[in-house]
Amino acid sequence: MLIDIKDLYKIYNEGRESEVRALDGVTLQIDRGEFVAIVGQSGSGKSTLMNVLGCLDIPTYGDYFLDGTDVTGLSDRQLARIRNREIGFIFQGYNLIQELDALENVILPLIYRGIPVWDREDMAMEALEKVGMADRAHHRPSEMSGGQQQRVAIARAIAAHPPIIMADEPTGALDSKTGKHVLEILRDLYREGNTILLITHDEGIAATAKRVVRLSDGKIISDAPQEVDWT
Amino acid sequence: MNLLQAFKMAFKSIACKKTRSFLTMLGIIIGVASVVIMVSVVQGQNKKSMEYFEKMGSNKISVDAYYYYSSDGSNTIFEDLYDYCLGMQDLVVGVTPNIQVYNNMTVKYKTKTASTQNWENWEDMLQVVLGSDQYGACNNYTLASGRELAYLDIQNANNVCVLGGRLKETLFDFVDPVGETITINGQPFLVVGWYERKDLENWPELDNIVLLPYTFNRSLNQNSPINSFVVKARSASATVKAMTKLDAFLGSMFPKNADGYSNVGDYYIRSDNSSAASIQEQSNMQAMVLGGIAGISLLVGGIGIMNIMLVTVTERTREIGIRKAIGAERRSIIAQFLIEAAVICGIGGLLGIGIGYVGTMVAGKFILQDSSLTPSIPMALLAFGFSVVLGVIFGLYPAVKASGLQPVEALRAE
Repeated sequence: MLIDIKDLYKIYNEGRESEVRALDGVTLQIDRGEFVAIVGQSGSGKSTLMNVLGCLDIPTYGDYFLDGTDVTGLSDRQLARIRNREIGFIFQGYNLIQELDALENVILPLIYRGIPVWDREDMAMEALEKVGMADRAHHRPSEMSGGQQQRVAIARAIAAHPPIIMADEPTGALDSKTGKHVLEILRDLYREGNTILLITHDEGIAATAKRVVRLSDGKIISDAPQEVDWT
Repeated sequence: MNLLQAFKMAFKSIACKKTRSFLTMLGIIIGVASVVIMVSVVQGQNKKSMEYFEKMGSNKISVDAYYYYSSDGSNTIFEDLYDYCLGMQDLVVGVTPNIQVYNNMTVKYKTKTASTQNWENWEDMLQVVLGSDQYGACNNYTLASGRELAYLDIQNANNVCVLGGRLKETLFDFVDPVGETITINGQPFLVVGWYERKDLENWPELDNIVLLPYTFNRSLNQNSPINSFVVKARSASATVKAMTKLDAFLGSMFPKNADGYSNVGDYYIRSDNSSAASIQEQSNMQAMVLGGIAGISLLVGGIGIMNIMLVTVTERTREIGIRKAIGAERRSIIAQFLIEAAVICGIGGLLGIGIGYVGTMVAGKFILQDSSLTPSIPMALLAFGFSVVLGVIFGLYPAVKASGLQPVEALRAE
């Protein structure tokens, strides 16, 4: 089991009147090579779930085993290593560094990974080619459209070849045509054997995933595989 | 991530955020430059006033002594003082009357003249001084050629003189004057020697002297009382001892009555060492006041740095969130921001020192008319260190704060 969480809670302002249970006892297993959509309304806790799964946030209670490792007990440094090597993030708001051009943004995780200088650029260019952005390698985020920025963000997520890709509303800020293109890239990554976690509120997008986990008020209300036609 | 990489990232970040980096630097540049300029100018002025004491020699004791009821040169204070000083040669180099003749006097050699009334060119104004055979030693003059006045010249009131370096040039150009005869108000005097120039910018008259035996006081100075003397001691400690002895000696010459006053006369002893010390002290005070003002401007500059750094905390927090999300360790982030802040402040500080240098030169040349003014290096280093420390602290602040957050919290910063 790649991702194995048991009874996971994320509670804000615990014990106070303003207590919010963003995750309220979530148990979930995801295997290597799955394409899972986590669907829910705004406030259902799906982003919190991704943040916890992606080691961007720590759960209040519960166990989280990533590839057999108990993540909840890891140090800040070890978590950074996991974020760097195991997981590639795609955010709704792209989260590119504005001062760096596309190539430099994609190179960044490779630097933190300690990839030698002479390999970095090749790996980054490869990733940019994969998302069709090689010709924009030296453009800054401000010089690109939303779709282009998101493709650069995807390139950054995959540059270091992490086995897990987590995408939080990756098409949320894009028009339907560029959104489709982004989903297409995610499918390609799935076909290459990556594990894809797609967080969305959009049923239309959820319908393209192999498995759909539905979340409401911090609880899983359904979890089922589905047949999809990707042709 | 290695250190080299952290450096590269820091430089990249600075290059990308030019305006912010420049504004941060500006505070430091102005602060450091103003500290350097102000303190250097004060120290330069100080040096200038100290130059007088250096050229005149240290360990000089000025003695004033006079009888209340004596209005002519018939008193023997100097002779007594001379004999007394002979008895403490372990402490004292020499003693001389220190008398300037203020009458209208003119020296003449062939067609060249110099006058005590030359108000148009005060730098060339003649100064007729009366002294003993030890006048040169007491006032730190160095003979260029010839000899000093001799004891017998004084005793016999020989018509001999020694010229200051500048006066010698006025009268003789480059010819050696020794053996020539000049006239002072028509009276012939044999030149026996001349002194090297002191070249004190603010005291040119010291090189325009014609030194005559003090026994000419009677004929050239209306026989005014000789009340002013210079005793030259051998060292700073000898100065103190000699002053104590002189005080005792003069105290016996002018004994005090029951009220603590003398009925016959009074005396006053002071050393240039203490004048020098007090001038030094005064100028140190000036330096402290101006340095304080400059320090405040440095502080204001520091607050400017602080503001800019704090304003960008949000922006930076988000960036740190992104970096953490893609796998940056806390120490990589801190290293990057530390280097960034240090480099910005370092460059700013160096620019500040550079501008301070130029500013000091300009101030020296155009305000103080002193091209030898040099910037104060310890002050520059102090200001530099201060601004770098300040910049690093406030540049590091957002990094330390944000890198400790969970990535998701840092990413949430808007």
